[in-house]
Amino acid sequence: MKSSLGRKLINAPYLLWAALFILIPLIIVAYYAFTDTQGNFSFEYIVKIGEYKEVLIRSLVYAAVATAITLVMAYPVAYYMSRSKVSTQKMMMLLVMLPMWMNLLIRTYSWTTILEKTGLINSFLDIFGIGPLKIIGTSGAVILGMVYNYVPYMILPIYTVMTKIDNSLLEAAEDLGSNGFSKLKRVILPLSLPGVISGITMVFVPSISTFYISQKLGGPQTQMIGDIIQKRFDALSYNMGASLSFVMMIVILISLAIMNRFSDDDGGIIV
Amino acid sequence: MKEKKIVVELKNIGISFDGEQILDDLNLEIRDGEFVTFLGPSGCGKTTTLRIIGGFTQPDTGEVIIDGKNMNGAPPYKRQVNTIFQRYALFPHLNVFENVAFGLRVNKVDSKEIEKRVTAMLESVNLSGFEKRQVHSLSGGQQQRVAIARALVNNPTILLLDEPLGALDLKLRKDMQNELKNIQQQLGITFIFVTHDQEEALSMSDTVVVMNEGRIQQIGTPEDIYNEPKNAFVADFIGESNILDGIMREDRLVEMFGHKFDCVDIGFGKNEPVDVVVRPEDIDVVEPEKGQLSGTVSSITFKGVHYEIIVDINDFKWMIQSTDSPAVGDVIGISIPPQDIHIMKKSEYSGMFGDYSTFSDEMELIGDTEITGEDET
Ligand SMILES: Nc1ncnc2c1ncn2[C@@H]1O[C@H](COP(=O)(O)OP(=O)(O)OP(=O)(O)O)[C@@H](O)[C@H]1O
Ligand SMILES: [Mg+2]
Repeated sequence: MKSSLGRKLINAPYLLWAALFILIPLIIVAYYAFTDTQGNFSFEYIVKIGEYKEVLIRSLVYAAVATAITLVMAYPVAYYMSRSKVSTQKMMMLLVMLPMWMNLLIRTYSWTTILEKTGLINSFLDIFGIGPLKIIGTSGAVILGMVYNYVPYMILPIYTVMTKIDNSLLEAAEDLGSNGFSKLKRVILPLSLPGVISGITMVFVPSISTFYISQKLGGPQTQMIGDIIQKRFDALSYNMGASLSFVMMIVILISLAIMNRFSDDDGGIIV
Repeated sequence: MKEKKIVVELKNIGISFDGEQILDDLNLEIRDGEFVTFLGPSGCGKTTTLRIIGGFTQPDTGEVIIDGKNMNGAPPYKRQVNTIFQRYALFPHLNVFENVAFGLRVNKVDSKEIEKRVTAMLESVNLSGFEKRQVHSLSGGQQQRVAIARALVNNPTILLLDEPLGALDLKLRKDMQNELKNIQQQLGITFIFVTHDQEEALSMSDTVVVMNEGRIQQIGTPEDIYNEPKNAFVADFIGESNILDGIMREDRLVEMFGHKFDCVDIGFGKNEPVDVVVRPEDIDVVEPEKGQLSGTVSSITFKGVHYEIIVDINDFKWMIQSTDSPAVGDVIGISIPPQDIHIMKKSEYSGMFGDYSTFSDEMELIGDTEITGEDET
């Protein structure tokens, strides 16, 4: 708080950068969303969003389910990691990060070779005369792909917060009569809540705008809003694509705001 | 006084970490309502012993018996013991009231009852009005009292305290010493207290357990420990001592530096080599010719109540605390009353402590540069 002018000057390049790369694209999106093909102001395409109601709802549901599954999977892993020896922690961290070093497209593509009709799983089941099972093309496969891709983003923030929980607090809880479950409920959960909230945010936001995964692992009836947006732009239907993106942004902003409310008491989101 | 029942018993406790023996064949009995203090240098295993009693660490060998029941393997929440941790370990997500209420809530005590007990407990540690405060906004002394309240509200029969006053300044430390002692006496709880401050240990405890390198050196009342140290380590660690080589010529007669001294100890072998302890305040300064021994004063420091005199007698530097103030270079005599000569059996610590030849270097900050200079050559 020394000199507000000095602060502003220091922030200036950042503000410029933000304006250039965040604000201007947003304005362009909004512009296309609220104009017709001739460039006149119009609600034509915003209104058309109603046609995609089903896809929008599906995206929300898939994202919610994928987020819930990653949370349930990641929480115990993060806890276990945070209570391990430092060397084990580093090792596990590496394992969690490893898939992220590979391109998303390649990772998803490899799942298709596992799940497809002639893929790894079905070839294996075939030995016992079972199948082939229809895995690819189901909503289960899409959610699996999402969980697989996003679970590190859930583990990392929860793990980070949990490493900050001093062991003596857990011992104090035990000393005062807490065993496993009550220790979890009264100490571990409340203290790791900020991590859980940023984990949910970091998984839910990309989940809801997922594309490609849903095309490769799913089928026509598992299309997500991200796929539609991509297709609209590919078809040079900028106005439709932009208005869908605009609605997506609103949905994401609302969910961020809800998340923020939860974390306010505990001092904000930790990313 | 009638002997009270034994509430905690440690039998042949041993534990090692990473292949290093940390506690070795530790045996101890603690009685109901006793104030027991573990005293010893850093790293000697005090916290480890406490954690074994609390159930946070399981010993490799030996038995932990609490209230007559073998507690080996029992987790902390199954023990009638509460702990005040070295750094308090208050719950940062709970306010003062909820921190204190934690144990009661876990045990599903009725909420009206909780309200009543927590309020009363906060009042007794002078924290009324702090109920809604966040713990991180409290001073060290206040946090410490929350920690005490959080443990005591559960009516434990045994309270473990790991250097609970370590982080406090001297004034607050003294106040809290009195407060803790009062609480202990009023409630009649067994206190097992850890400190490396010998003054704290002597002034608060019924029983002091002196530890070093994972072994108990001596168990006794503060007076016993001070007046009748068992070996050179205890004599050196508790207070100031001159520790000398002697030979027990017969009962009540010990020889040091070729001079025979009357003493009160009996039961040693004839001509047995022994360690002799003489406390600095027990030595009388006399005329050289009247003294049992005599030597040259090599330094004198004013300490308020008394002077601290280092005198060189036959190449052994004695420390004397006296109200007399001879000058450096003076030849003085010393005389020691028989009851102030304490005889100890030889131990592994013989010869390691009790000579003040390096004393002036240790104490004077100016000496520091000289010491490092010597180390390098
Ligand atoms: N979990 C552990 N793993 C490895 N070594 C340990 C462990 N706990 C204690 N030690 C070692 O055991 C020894 C005794 O430790 P302890 O904490 O009991 O000492 P202390 O007497 O309480 O010391 P201080 O006065 O410094 O608190 C030390 O050398 C310490 O490094
Ligand atoms: Mg300790």
